[in-house]
Order: sequence, then structure tokens, then C-alpha cells
Amino acid sequence: MKFWKNTYNEFIKIAAKPRSYIGIGAITLIVSIILFAMRVDGAFFISLITKPFEQSLSFEGNILNGNLIAFVILQMLIVHVPLLIALVTGDLVSGEAAMGTIRLLVTKPISRTSILLSKYLAGCAYTLVMLLWLMFMALVVGKMIFGTGDMMVLNGNGLVVFSEQDVFWRFASGFSLAYLSLVTVATLSLTLSCFSDNSIGPIVSTMAIIILFTIISTLDVPVLEKVQPYLFTNHMVAWRNFFDDPIPVAKIIKSGEILLIHIIGLLTIAIYKFNKKDILS
Amino acid sequence: MRYYKCIVAFFVAFLFIQQADAQNNTNTFLRSVYNKLQKAKDYTVDAHIKVDMPFVRMLPVNAKIYFKQKDKFKVESKGIAIVPRQGFDQASKMLADSSSFTTIVQGEEKIGAILTKIVNVIPLSDASDMILGKFWIDPVQSVIIKSQLTTRSSGTILTEYSYGKEVMFGLPDEMIVSVDIKKFKVPKGFVSEPTKSSTTKDSEGNGDKRGKIYIKLSNYQINKGISNSVFIK
Repeated sequence: MKFWKNTYNEFIKIAAKPRSYIGIGAITLIVSIILFAMRVDGAFFISLITKPFEQSLSFEGNILNGNLIAFVILQMLIVHVPLLIALVTGDLVSGEAAMGTIRLLVTKPISRTSILLSKYLAGCAYTLVMLLWLMFMALVVGKMIFGTGDMMVLNGNGLVVFSEQDVFWRFASGFSLAYLSLVTVATLSLTLSCFSDNSIGPIVSTMAIIILFTIISTLDVPVLEKVQPYLFTNHMVAWRNFFDDPIPVAKIIKSGEILLIHIIGLLTIAIYKFNKKDILS
Repeated sequence: MRYYKCIVAFFVAFLFIQQADAQNNTNTFLRSVYNKLQKAKDYTVDAHIKVDMPFVRMLPVNAKIYFKQKDKFKVESKGIAIVPRQGFDQASKMLADSSSFTTIVQGEEKIGAILTKIVNVIPLSDASDMILGKFWIDPVQSVIIKSQLTTRSSGTILTEYSYGKEVMFGLPDEMIVSVDIKKFKVPKGFVSEPTKSSTTKDSEGNGDKRGKIYIKLSNYQINKGISNSVFIK
């Protein structure tokens, strides 16, 4: 009971911080810009998808619909949302250390592990709110503006058209896997937060790690190919596999496993470090 | 000597007349096909479209096709439908102006139980999008059984037609359209997986491929009148 109350308190703390709304504001602004751009210049965007086929084929129906828009937004933003999440989760422990409230916190009749797990769950809840807001802006607002319909996706194997009824569960599953990847980032920043007494360090370090891993994932160098499959950044786009046909189940499971291993490993380090942390001020 | 000259002149005249007669017969074939197509001033038809193409995966879709003479054409579909850019009314358009092309009978070919006449249609204008049209015509029913249109813009489109009760209008019940698909490359930025190649695996090194679109047509509503506003997109 104390644990859940503490978790609730941690969430209230997050909600009370102005920086927690930077991410939501940024998502609102970016998605609004994308929606506006698509409304004005959507035909050009569609031509990029259909161009390879247009010599022989003609595409009929409402191609530029809310489903496609949501997919495009998710694809554009899912790599950048982690940076907004780290802004909050990287501050969870180090922020308290910087303000000196951590000393008061650990005097509570609750174990340090429970305190950290409360912070972690609150961070995960914040991540969920961010993702749900992204989903609302992309899918609900997108459908309100562009209507609904079949969804056309261009991937490495060609063009796939999903019927309207076949789309929602793919989005739900895709968002769930995307959530797992965002939680991985939240866990990383929380872990780094346990090592620092100021907020900037863990936030910048998280961003630096994401950028570094993304660069390593992108480099087509044989020596890095053995490492690439194990970098969590490589699995942050695994949600997109739900929009393949047939769905590469083994690939999705592998991505899920790697992300979970990262989460468990990082959380273990965080708990160990937080329990051993000298809290002197 | 004079006798030989007469024979040669007669022979040349005979060939010329034969050629002109053959040309006339070919034009008559095409004209009767065209006239039949002209009987349907407008029509709507339900279409069931199935796409079997490299690099394209989609379930069959139902659509409604609207056509009005001379060249108004629209496909209406709840979902996304992929239809051949040319093939529905291209033959009709091509045959509309008989002075714009020349024809050559290539021979005969049996398609199923039908003995068809193969007619090559060559546009006279260099600027024409059409390079060559080849039609397999059923001389009894005056309908096109198969056509192969080679265009500058769309490559070669091979269409096979099956007819049912609307054969009197030259309108098919089923069409199988084979089209060229260019080597397909995903534009940069569309594939978010960093390690994934942007070119499709199947297309690498193989160049162009052919795909087929199967269109089943049913519930024709012919000459019932269609407003021009239907065709405004």
C-alpha cells in the first residue's frame, strides 16, 4: 500500500514539474505542423510513395487518410520522443539529489528499492501518457482531419495495402512495442540518474548514448554488424514490423526480448547503485 | 518485251489491289469492333480487382467503374484500388480515329476455342504515346480477345478479355491485365530500419518485372445515362 501511495506521489511530482509538459507541448506542436503540411502538400507526399508504380498503375481511393498520417507521424517521431522522455526520467533521482530532497525521501519507512521502483513506475506512467498523447494526436486528430480508409505502407519489400479493419490492431500492437522501447530509454536515463547529483548529466548522457547507438546502427561496417542487433536503438523501430505482411513474428519477439533484457539489466544496475548510494546532503 | 512489261504491270497491280483489299478487310474488322464498343454510350459496372504483382501486397477490392463516351472514366472505391493506368478504354480510344493509324494483318491464332485474327495497329504520328497496338480479334463476335499495347509512357500492357452476356456491347466480364513494373526502390527516409536496404531484395539485379491485375466485372448498367458531375474528381 505504501509502495503504491509513494508511486502516486512520484507521479504527482512529475506532473507538478513544468519540464514534464515540454514533451507534450513539443509533440503537439510537431504533430500539428506535420498535419498542416500534409493537408497542404499531401499529394506530393503520396506521389513519393506511388511514384515507382505510377508508370503502369493508377491508385484510386482515399490514400491520404488518418491511418497513413498516423503511421507517418509515428515513424517520424518515435525516434525523437525518447529525448523528450529522458528530459523527465533522467531527473527522477538526480533532481532530488540536486535539490537535497533525496535525504528526506530515504528517511521514509520504505526500502530504497521500493523508492526507486516507485520512481520508475511513475516514469513509466509518464512515458505512457506521452505515447498516448502522441497516439491521440496522430491517430484521432489525423482521422478527424483526413478521414479514414485503407492504409498504404511502403517498406523494404514493396507496397503493402492493409484494409481499414486490419489497421487498428496493428497500431495497438505497434504502439505497445514502441512503448517497450520508450520504457527502455526511461530505464536507461533513470539508471544514469542514480549515478549523478545533477539533472543535466543523465539527460545529456542518455541523449548521447541514443545518438551514438543510432550512428553505430546506421554504419554499414562489417566489424559493427555483430554488435548492431544487440543495440536497443536498433529495436526502437521494431513496431514497424506490425505493418509488414506477413508479420515477422520471430523478429518482433527477438526485439521484445532484447528490449526487456535491457530494461531488466539497467533496472538491476539502478537498484544496486541507489541502494549503495551515499546520501550525505 | 512489251508482253513481259504487261505481265509485270498486271502482277504489280494485282499485288497492290490485294494489299488494298487486305487493308480494307483489316479496317473493316477494326471498324466493326469499334462500332460495337460505341453501342455503350455509358455504363457503370461493379469490379472485383485482384492484384498479383511483385512488390505489391494487397487484398482484393471491390470498386465501381463509370464510363461515358468519349473518354470519361472513373473508378470509385471505398478502399484503395490499384488499376492499370491504361487498358480499360485504351483500345477504344486508339481505334476512334482510323486515319491516325495503319494496320497490318499478322495472321491467325487460336485462343481457347476462338480462331482470332491478329491485327497490328501502327500509329502514323511520331508524337503518339502509342508505339504499337496488337489486337487478337474474334471475327465472328467482333470483339477483342487479347490486346497488347506498347506505349511510351506505360511500357507494354497485355490484356486478355473474357466475354459474357454483354458481348453485344463488346464489354468483357473479365480482364486480365499484365503490366510492366519498373525496378522498385524505396525513397530514402521511408524505411526506418537503419540496417535495412532501401532496394527491394527481389528486384536487385533482375530489372523490370511483370505483374497481373485480375478484374471481374459484373452488374453492368448500360446506357442508363451518367451525369458528367460523376467524373469530376
